[in-house]
Parts: sequence; structure tokens; C-alpha cells
Amino acid sequence: MFKLNLKIAFRNLIKNKVYAAINIGGLALGLTGFVLLLLFINHENSYDKWNPKLENVYQVREFLNLSTPDNRPHWQELNNSRNAEMLKKSIPQFKYVTKIDNDWGDVLSIKTGLADPLALKGFVNADSLFFKVFPYHFLQGNEKNALQSPNSVVVKHSTAKLLFGTDEALGKTLKIFRWKGDSGVAYTITGVVEDPSAPESLKFNAILHDGEREKDPENLNVTTPCKIYGLVNTAIDTNALNKTINRAHFDYKNKLYGETNNKGVSKSTSAPSLKIIPLKDVHSNPPFAKSWVDKIKPVVALSIFLLLISVINFINLATAQSVQRAREVGVKKVLGTRKKQLVWQFLCEVAIQSLFALFISVALVELLLPAFSTNFDVQLSFWYNAKLVSILFQLLAVFIIVTLLAGLYPAAVLSNYNPIAVLKGNYENSFKGIALRNGLVIVQFAIAATFIISIGVMQSQTNFIVNKDLGFDRSHLINISANYDERFAERIKKIPGVQYVATTTQVMGNTFNVSEKVVYKSNTFDFNTVTVTMETLPALGVHLVSGRLFSKEYKQDTVNTVVLNESAAKLLGKNTVGQDYDVLDEKKKYTFRIVGVIKDYHNEGFDKTVLPTIYKVTHLGGMSSINNLLVRFDTDNYQHMVELIRLEWMKISPEFPMIYTSGESAFQAQILSDKRFMEMITLFSAFSILLSLLGLFALSAFVSKRRTKEIAVRKVLGASNFQIINMLNRSFLLLIVAANLISWPIAYIAMNKWLQGFAYRVDMPVAPFVLATFASLIIALFTVSIQARKAAVSNPVKALKYE
Amino acid sequence: MIELKNIEKYYANKGVKSYILRHVTTSIKQGEFVSIMGPSGAGKSTLLNILGMLEEPTYGQYEFMGEDVVSLNERKRIELYRNHIGFVFQAYHLIDEMTVAENIEAPLLYKKVPGSERKSRVADMLDRFNMVAKSDLFPNQLSGGQQQLVGIARALVAQPSIILADEPTGNLQSAQALQIMDLFKKLNEEEGITIVQVTHSEVNAGYGSRILHLLDGVIKEDVAVQQTV
Repeated sequence: MFKLNLKIAFRNLIKNKVYAAINIGGLALGLTGFVLLLLFINHENSYDKWNPKLENVYQVREFLNLSTPDNRPHWQELNNSRNAEMLKKSIPQFKYVTKIDNDWGDVLSIKTGLADPLALKGFVNADSLFFKVFPYHFLQGNEKNALQSPNSVVVKHSTAKLLFGTDEALGKTLKIFRWKGDSGVAYTITGVVEDPSAPESLKFNAILHDGEREKDPENLNVTTPCKIYGLVNTAIDTNALNKTINRAHFDYKNKLYGETNNKGVSKSTSAPSLKIIPLKDVHSNPPFAKSWVDKIKPVVALSIFLLLISVINFINLATAQSVQRAREVGVKKVLGTRKKQLVWQFLCEVAIQSLFALFISVALVELLLPAFSTNFDVQLSFWYNAKLVSILFQLLAVFIIVTLLAGLYPAAVLSNYNPIAVLKGNYENSFKGIALRNGLVIVQFAIAATFIISIGVMQSQTNFIVNKDLGFDRSHLINISANYDERFAERIKKIPGVQYVATTTQVMGNTFNVSEKVVYKSNTFDFNTVTVTMETLPALGVHLVSGRLFSKEYKQDTVNTVVLNESAAKLLGKNTVGQDYDVLDEKKKYTFRIVGVIKDYHNEGFDKTVLPTIYKVTHLGGMSSINNLLVRFDTDNYQHMVELIRLEWMKISPEFPMIYTSGESAFQAQILSDKRFMEMITLFSAFSILLSLLGLFALSAFVSKRRTKEIAVRKVLGASNFQIINMLNRSFLLLIVAANLISWPIAYIAMNKWLQGFAYRVDMPVAPFVLATFASLIIALFTVSIQARKAAVSNPVKALKYE
Repeated sequence: MIELKNIEKYYANKGVKSYILRHVTTSIKQGEFVSIMGPSGAGKSTLLNILGMLEEPTYGQYEFMGEDVVSLNERKRIELYRNHIGFVFQAYHLIDEMTVAENIEAPLLYKKVPGSERKSRVADMLDRFNMVAKSDLFPNQLSGGQQQLVGIARALVAQPSIILADEPTGNLQSAQALQIMDLFKKLNEEEGITIVQVTHSEVNAGYGSRILHLLDGVIKEDVAVQQTV
């Protein structure tokens, strides 16, 4: 019986090749997005799960104001390093506590032997207890002596291969150069650890141990922020322990710093200031960025919509096709089959189709994985995935759900046919089925129309961003990772084509907000400070609004003059040029004069407002570290000038390579995530529109076929072909219009929310809404007309012949 | 074998009842060959459907082999007609996606007959109807008469005690029709299978032993046939 039903299923598929292809293809497309998402979610969930011992590792977070994006305190991964000592002494549950520097993403120059230096990231300094907390597997060396001696380093297996070409690295030395002109420090390799099988939230290529992390600075006013992790020896109640830790932290700070307010640290006991979180929660709770769960929500929504469309397609086509199977059902019922058997048979047919679809989608996933991986910055693979078995089970669950979703309704419809009505030949589809089918078409097209509108709005916003005046000129501008060296600057200024050489603490792609309190006309303001050199503002090509920029003619410029941006000037009031303000630093008071106001320029993405900023040349009253050497050229073809600069660079820094980015690429990097988002939406939209159209095409074919007799009768009564086509079109077009009406408010709300995420945005454009409706109507009209025409020109006699 | 008492069937449309069958009372014994005749709309097909348990009467008693059919639940009813009744349709109603052999085999699958016995019974049937060479063809590759033969073979393979035929020759040419009627007669005389057929043709009715004339849902006449062959 099963074999026979299988045979019938296959023969049916072959008989209706086109519809089978549309069904299976549609499901495959819908499933592909889903499977990719599944892989991604599995990957993100697997962070820090490469060793069961990691269950007992916790990360310490402090509530601090330290290089935060908005200059306010936040829960951070960075701690005052003294917290580690405090935890070791006061919290007995911690077996080991380790401190590790934060990886700011610096590129270091690593030299091994006589080879050319390699530029690498991820060399981080930690204390000697690091490997006691993190159970990395040592391929060479062991965790007991790995980080005991000063200037030792433990490398990952992959890094060892990169540096030495072999994993036999124990005992070898490497020299690290941290910046141009650095004489370098030598380290000995005391261990090689295995790259773990699952991703880590604390990424590194090598762990250095130079001894700096063993003790805290003696001067209480000096803090060296770091990350702190602890290993507990038993299972703990995190909430209860956090209360204890917070109390201990408060007591500790009071003891250490007295009752005086320590800069940026909360004063009261009720406000928590220190907490621990389990390591497995670290990756999904980044302190400032959006967690991956939030980032992926739109993608999840998109995938579900796409899958929904393909399932709807399937249901519609299957129920429409059911007319063909009606006779088979009638006969079978006469022969003595039960309803349950019929339902089961049709479900199996759906299962076969979705199985095919699943296979095709897996193949598609393999094809799309490389592009997907680069887009989301992950390394995903399907067949080599560590959790392949679990993923296959998840796929099985998806397969079952999709089969039931897509198959239950058509199976129910089919098995409910009254054998008499069917076998008499005058079987007319009851009107109940039509309502659901129309509803499904409306949902499908509403989703597709929403997508079209979204693309239109997003394109509008992207155009706005790309063409927006950034407030500075990002063309023929490069930023070299180096600090300002007067000699070097003079030398490269001599290269023809170099217009300006300057430095700043804040440039697109490399921000570092340093806040400063300013007293102006007895009001206190919180401003962001950027330290520049004389040529910086002209190098950036900023727009001067009032007053003047810094210039060598004014000796005061190196002492106590500042330039404000418009946001800062607005806060202070009118006519700020020529006014003075004070800065209080410890016990001294510094007075500054405002000499100019420039238009705001965007140093970060468009989702953040430009902070009110002070620009000054002097170091008085505070300075921040400088690592941006700006060079502006006077022409677009500046590549050979860069090479000349590089030659000069090699003369003064043979060990440390010159690293630079162009203003244009920094800008592109900023808008990259939004660009990718748009690309993804466009892709999903294209698919969903395609599917909806295919569905409409097939559906209109069936409806036309079913109404053949009605059309024949009408033609005999005198209707023209045109009138017949109109009649068939009308029923569908009404659906499309309804779908569009539904999609307008949905798209509006969704796009409004997306636009709110940008501090600088366009007003909601009307054009996409109108265009979407228009386009969907025209395309639907075209699609349905093809089928309608076929039905309308058929010979009425053929339809009216039987009985 | 079959006892009908006061069978009534009506359709209610917005409160107005339209009667298809009224006061139908008759009995059919084992081995009879009955034809039901009457103008269109007289209710012949409905009566046949009620006999075949495809429709339920709105009133009345129907006893099949001593069992009261109307009070049976669906499962028991299916058992009954699976094992005892074979249906032959005017439009043959073969399943297009199955070959001739599979079509004939279908009722046996629902009776849960084991595989080897199924194969032998199907082979037997094919042999009997001289269709062995056509066993792997699909219905759309056969002529009308051949399809009807397959339909009859399918009705017979389950070894029913009664065959209900709804205008079995309606779509056939006269030569083929006669062939089918001869077959029915043979089945009735040689194997004792009860046959109830609905027909328009006097010629066809002549093959049977009894004619029920229906008019407007009521049995007007119940005559025995003069055997003229």
C-alpha cells in the first residue's frame, strides 16, 4: 500500500512538472534562509563552550565611566585592576583570579629571527594565572610554568604556524615592536596551546607575560584598567554572590580611597558597582554594542517571512491542484479507504516534496556559505560543523513542521471530498476553500509589497547618507597609525602633492572620546576634547562658520585658544567667538579663549549625533593619546605619493610597518553594516517577490482552468475575449489592492523604527509606497492576463461537450 | 439479501424539502439481476448510492444481509461494502496515475489481502478479461470499452456478493456495450453474483431478470423480464 502510494506520488509530481518545480523550488528558497540562520545561531550559541570546565569561569564587570561612547558610566568589561586583589582576598569562592589587558585592536609588529616583521593583532598581556582559569590544552609546554618567567609568551597553534611555519615553537624567541621607533622587546615562547573547537569571547593569538600585570600601581590615583576573570571551585548562586561582591567592593573602595569621591565611581552602596557574570553569558551581553541576539532579529523576521511565503504558495497550489485528485479520492473512498488513510497519504506526498526541497536548500546553503560568512564576519560550515548531529536534528524538526504546516490543510481538503459529488462529474469547488485561498494570496502579496516599500525607503536613506556632507572632505586623505613626529612630518611635507600633514585624537574610524568639564558664564558644560595640530582642521577640510582656525601667526594658539564645533557653540549661546571659559583641573584653573566655530563633522556613523566638541592645539589642561597622522594630498592619484611616504617611513622605523587607511575606506567601513543590511533585505525581497509571482501565476492557471465551463457558457452567451480576461483579472486585482493597503501601515511602522536608529535621516518618502502598489498591480495584471488569455481563447465547444 | 423499507431521501434547501426518493420499499434476493429504469431525475442513481452505502437515506430502513445498515457506524459500514459490494461507474473512474494492474489491485489493498495472494488474484482477473498484455498500461492508453472492462475487473477482484452498476454502458459504443452486458449475464448466471444496474436502455434491461421502474422518486412498477434470448 505504501509502495503504491509512493508510486502515485511520484507519478503525480512528474505529471505536473511545472507545479512540482514551483512547489519544491519555493520551499527550497524559503528553507535556505532558515538553514543559514540556524547555522549562525548555533555558532553564536557555541561561544565559550569548548571545555566543560568553563562553566565555572566568570567575568568581572565594573560600573565605570571609561572611554564610553556617551561619557557616562556603564557596566564595562574594563575594571580597575585592584578589583582582582580585592576578589582574591575577600571572596573565598574564587579559586583563581586572573587579569588580562584589553585588546584595543592594536597592530603589533612581530619579528622572528631575521625574517621580515609580520603585522599581527591579538597579542595580549596577562598575569601568570591566566591558564589556571582558562583550561587551554597545551600542545607544548604546560600551564604550570608557562607564564611564570618574565617576558614569556604562549602562542596559539595557528599563530605558531604563522610565525615559524611549524608548531615546534617551544623555546624560540620573538621580538615585539609596538610603535614606530620602538626598540622592541624580546619574548620567549614557553607554550603552544591548541586552537579550541568552539569560538571564544576572549579572542587572542598569543598571551604575553611581561610581569606588568602581577602587581597594581602603587600610586592610588593611577589605574591600569584590565579585564578580570575568575574560576570558582564550586557551583555558586550568582545573584547572592554578586551582593556579597558589591558589598566587598564598596568597603574596599572606602578603605582605599577614603570617603572622597573617586573620579567616575559610584558613591552609594545601593548603586551596584561590581558584578560577575558567567562566561557563557559574556558573548551575548556585549557592554556597548548590540548583542548578536538583537542584531539578528531582523534577519530572523526576514527568514520567517520568506518561509511563510513559500509555505503559503505551497498550500495554495496544493489545494488548487486538489481538483485534479478529486476523482482519485472519490474512487478510493468507494473502494473502502478511511479518511485517516487519505490524510496520511497526502501528508506523505507533501513530505516527499519538502524532503526534496530540504536537499536542494542544503545544496544552496553550501553555495551561499562563503558569501554569508564574509557578510557576517563568521566562519560557518555545514558538513564540517562541530555540531553537525545537533544541526541535523534541528533540520529534521524544521522538516516536520514545514510538512505539517504546508500539508495539513490541503490533506484535509482533499480527504473531505464527497465521493458522490466527485464521481458524478459535476463537481464544483465549494466556496469555503476560496476564502482561505484568497486570504493567503493577500498575505503573500502584503509581505512582498512591504519588502518593496522597505527597499525604496532604505535606498532613499542610503543615498542621503552617501551624499551627505560629512562636514569634512574625505577624498585624497589618508590616516597613518603613528603619532606626530616633527622631523618625519617635515620630510613628508616636502613630497610634491602632499598638502597638509597633521594629527588629531579623533578621526573617522578611530574615535576616543575624552570628556572635559567647562565653566562658561558660571554654567558647567560637559564637552568632548580633541587635541590637534595647527594643520589638522584645514587638512580635514572643515567648514568655518565664524571666527578663524588655528594658525602659526597667532602665538596664543599653542597656549590657550580653542575652536568649537557648532553643537558646542549652540550649547553655550550666541556670539561665542572671543569669549573665555575656564577648565578646572585638580587645583589649578585654566582659562581658554574661543577663536572660531566650525560646522559639525561626522566622525562616527550616522546613527550617533555629533558630540559638542572643543578642538585645541595645546596640551594644557589635559591631553589624550595621539595615533592618527593625517596626510592630505592635492590630487586623487596619490598612490605613488604614499609609496614615497612609505620609503621615508622605512628610514625611521624599519621594524614597524606603516599602516594607513584612506578617508574614503574609513567612511565605507562606517556605513558597511547598514549597506550589508540593505543588501540582505534586497535579496530577501527579490526572492519573496519572485515566489509570490510564481504562486500567482500557478494559481491563476488553475482558477482559469476550473472556470473553463463558466467561460465557455459566457462566450456562447456573447462575451468577448476582452471581457472574459477582465472578469478573470478583476478577482485577482482586488486581492492585490487589499494586500497593498495592508502593507502600507506595516511598512510605515517598520521603516519608521529603522530610520529612528539614525541620528541623521531623511523624512519618510512617499514615492516607495506609491511605486510598490503600482508595480505590484502591473506585474500581477501581467501574470494573470497570460493565463486568462489562454482560457479565454479556448474553444467553448470543448468545455460544454461532456454530458 | 437486501431489504428496503420506506426509504426516503430529500434535500432541504432553505426549509423547502425536495424529495428524491419516497416510500421506496422492495427486496432483492441473492442471485437476482435487477435493472432500475426511469427518466432523468427520477432518483435512480440516488437509490443505487443508497444501496451501495455511499449515501444515507433520510428516513427508512435498509437491511443488508440481515444487518441494519443505517445504524452502523462508518467503520462497520466500510467493512461491509468493502467485502460485499463492487461498484461499476458510467465514467469508469479509474485512477489515472495507476496502471491497469494497480487499479485492479486497489480494492485488495484496502481489504489487507497479503501480497502474493493479491498478485495471483489480479493475474487471474487479467487473464479472464484477456488483458494480460495491457496490465502495465495507463488508463489513458486504453479505449473506452477496455477501461470499463478494467472497472468491472476491479469491482470483481474483491469477490463481492453484489455488483452495483450505474449506467455501465452509457459511454460505450453498441458493440462494446453488448460485450459488457454479456459479461454481466455470465457473471450472474455462472457465478451467482447479484447485479443491480441502473440503465436507460431497454436492451440492457432485457439482460436482467427484473425491472424496477422509478418515476419521481417512487417505484411505479416492478416487473419480471421475459427472457427473450
